[in-house]
Amino acid sequence: MQSSLLRFIEILRSHALPVSPAETLDAAAAMEVVGYSDRAMLRDTLAMTLAKSDREEHTFLYCFDQFFDQQAADFSAADAANEDNDSAQTGADAAATESNEAAPGGSGAGQAGAGSAVDDAAELAAAADGSPALKELLEGELLPALLENQRGTLSTAMRRAGQEAGLSKIRLFTQKGQYTRRILDSLGEDLIRDAVIELERLESPAIDTLRRYRDVLREQVRDFVEQQYLMNAEGHNSAFMDDILSKTRLSNIDRRHRERVQEQVRRMARRLASRHSARRRPVKRGQLNMGKTLRGGMAHDGILFKTHWRSRKRDKAQILAICDVSGSVAAYASFLLMFLYSLQDVLPRTRSFAFSSHLGEISDLFKEEPLERAIELANWRYGGATDYGSSFRDFARLALDDINSSTSVIILGDARNNRGDPELEIMQSIYQRSKQVIWLNPESRRAWGTGDSEMLRYQTACHYCAPCSNLQQLERVVDQLLKSLR
Amino acid sequence: MDKRTELASADAIEAGFAELGYICSPKIATAVFLAAQLRKPVLVEGPPGVGKTELAKTAATLLELPLVRLQCYEGLDEAKALYEWKYGKQLLYTQVLKEKLGDLLDGAQGLAESVERLHQFGDVFYSEEFLEPRPLLQAMEQPHGAVLLIDEIDKSDHEFESLLLEILSDYQVSIPEIGTIKAKSTPLVFLTSNNTRDISDALKRRCLHLHIPFPSIDLEERILASRVPEVQDSLRQQLVAFVHAVRELDLKKQPAVSETIDWARSLLLLHATELEPELLQSTLNVLLKFEQDIETTEAELVSLLRSIKQAPDNH
Repeated sequence: MQSSLLRFIEILRSHALPVSPAETLDAAAAMEVVGYSDRAMLRDTLAMTLAKSDREEHTFLYCFDQFFDQQAADFSAADAANEDNDSAQTGADAAATESNEAAPGGSGAGQAGAGSAVDDAAELAAAADGSPALKELLEGELLPALLENQRGTLSTAMRRAGQEAGLSKIRLFTQKGQYTRRILDSLGEDLIRDAVIELERLESPAIDTLRRYRDVLREQVRDFVEQQYLMNAEGHNSAFMDDILSKTRLSNIDRRHRERVQEQVRRMARRLASRHSARRRPVKRGQLNMGKTLRGGMAHDGILFKTHWRSRKRDKAQILAICDVSGSVAAYASFLLMFLYSLQDVLPRTRSFAFSSHLGEISDLFKEEPLERAIELANWRYGGATDYGSSFRDFARLALDDINSSTSVIILGDARNNRGDPELEIMQSIYQRSKQVIWLNPESRRAWGTGDSEMLRYQTACHYCAPCSNLQQLERVVDQLLKSLR
Repeated sequence: MDKRTELASADAIEAGFAELGYICSPKIATAVFLAAQLRKPVLVEGPPGVGKTELAKTAATLLELPLVRLQCYEGLDEAKALYEWKYGKQLLYTQVLKEKLGDLLDGAQGLAESVERLHQFGDVFYSEEFLEPRPLLQAMEQPHGAVLLIDEIDKSDHEFESLLLEILSDYQVSIPEIGTIKAKSTPLVFLTSNNTRDISDALKRRCLHLHIPFPSIDLEERILASRVPEVQDSLRQQLVAFVHAVRELDLKKQPAVSETIDWARSLLLLHATELEPELLQSTLNVLLKFEQDIETTEAELVSLLRSIKQAPDNH
């Protein structure tokens, strides 16, 4: 069971659920305590030790059902096989039929009707006289197990063969055939194949029976590999996809990946927020911390030289984010707005603005509307041809008075002003008043200053400028921003 | 491992809790069982009013152990949570002992010898007699163990979380002046959180995680039957069905179990036997805590009532 647990944890990790080694130990200890008999209790136990938030618990339950259901199915199949054997001994035909049907994959034997297994065995034994390969096969383990429908033995053997073949490392669907072959080989299917060829040569009547058993076996192994593929590769593939997406230029991301990106952006914003939520630091005012002051004074014969204070000051960092939603950056704008939306969700003191020819505040929009609609409305209200000059004038009117030494201003845009007045003076006054001005430009550095781009001039009025064309860059820049906010 | 019979199995815990009037799901019982067996703290999350704090109180009653409660808030620091020196006492003693100093140093030759003599007395002022234990230390000093409830951990600061790490993983406190104080008997620790902010991974890793959601209809009826047994069965069914229907609405704050219980009590006082629209309207403020929510619910009142009146027929 230990190795099962480890494999299960491996799968959890591939579904972006970070399980630490210490938690693995906890889970193992907890499993010892509760035992394996009660499935619901086992699930709750593992959930408590491995999933540490509501969100993680959802992922956990999904993985748990996938992983342990298949195992449970196999165990029940083993039970059915036992019943099969028992009932065959008592000769209750009806019961045998029933459990034959109950055992998944037993349909091959079921086709020929109840009790056919015995006939098949006799037929094959008769044919074996002329064929040494078949004789050898009948003396081995595989074929008798198949004939008697020993589901338990077979599925254990299959599982073991899968482990030897490294099935848990399967990642691509093209590998399925290869793994199926490997498992079949290690189960000893090649012997059946040889026997089939020999029987063919001998034109023995038993060949159809043997073929049927061979097909049942192949089908079983194929199903098993398919199941394992789904379980093992799904998480890895989605992690791989996330990785690729985070490195793709935002403008090139296909619409159908939007939801995935949205989830990624949200995760990113959450990560950033938890790393950088408001800090408090001691200040010299408010209530006197008598204990600490007295203790400090003891060294000086009780004279209170140095005072300590109870109050702490909360850093009130504020972010003003301005996002260009004009046509030239339309492909980026929706992602940037998405990011702003998530950021405002986690850092409530963020104020968001959108502009193209004129500028307006969209904080309330983000607060009240769901993401999709908010982005749509922002685009609809403020979309159009770019005019940085008039937009900065609007911004100055709306928010310049609120900018102080603890304010950070983030500007997301390509600085392509259609040769209009750039209003650099306003940028400079923002620069002087604020703690920092950060400009994120979706264009690469080489394109800055070419054509109607005013980036090089605006750059003089920014503390930090960076190209930002994919999610990775976005996260890096914002992480830096938040770090410096402390 | 814990040998106490009350904690022998999850079923025993569930039964024991039920006797004390705390009806819980098997999951909660499993959590308490594991916490006792593995000696790990439990981080209890969930919406307000589902019985997170009550869980710790009931556990303390069941085990007949003292409940040590630490309410977290912004600015809580180690002096209030862990320990503090009795500064006044220290000062007073130094003043009183000043006169004794002459006797002690009587006959000592030179500074070196005097200091040598003083060293023989050790750090008397920083010993346990001068230590004022705060909740966390108190819980560790209980000779037979205790139930420690760290309430609303999400309200405290990041620094405080780090402070808890040593206590929660090793059940010990390091005091620079004295050394490490180990718990006399491992306390059963519950941390509750309303999820107003994410708890750090380091803390989460040390705890078992238990999420208590709103109870199912069946469970809530049992809770109500245990807490307000005077309410008739039919009214109780309607009441719980109504609360569940209200939770489906888009509300600022959904009514929790504690509100259901309060509401059942108020209906009892009003001698209600059935849910009537007028009665509902006049008592909604017990169930819902925001004017906005009350308005939303009032608008839906008729359809809500119809749906719960139909529901029993379906059974």
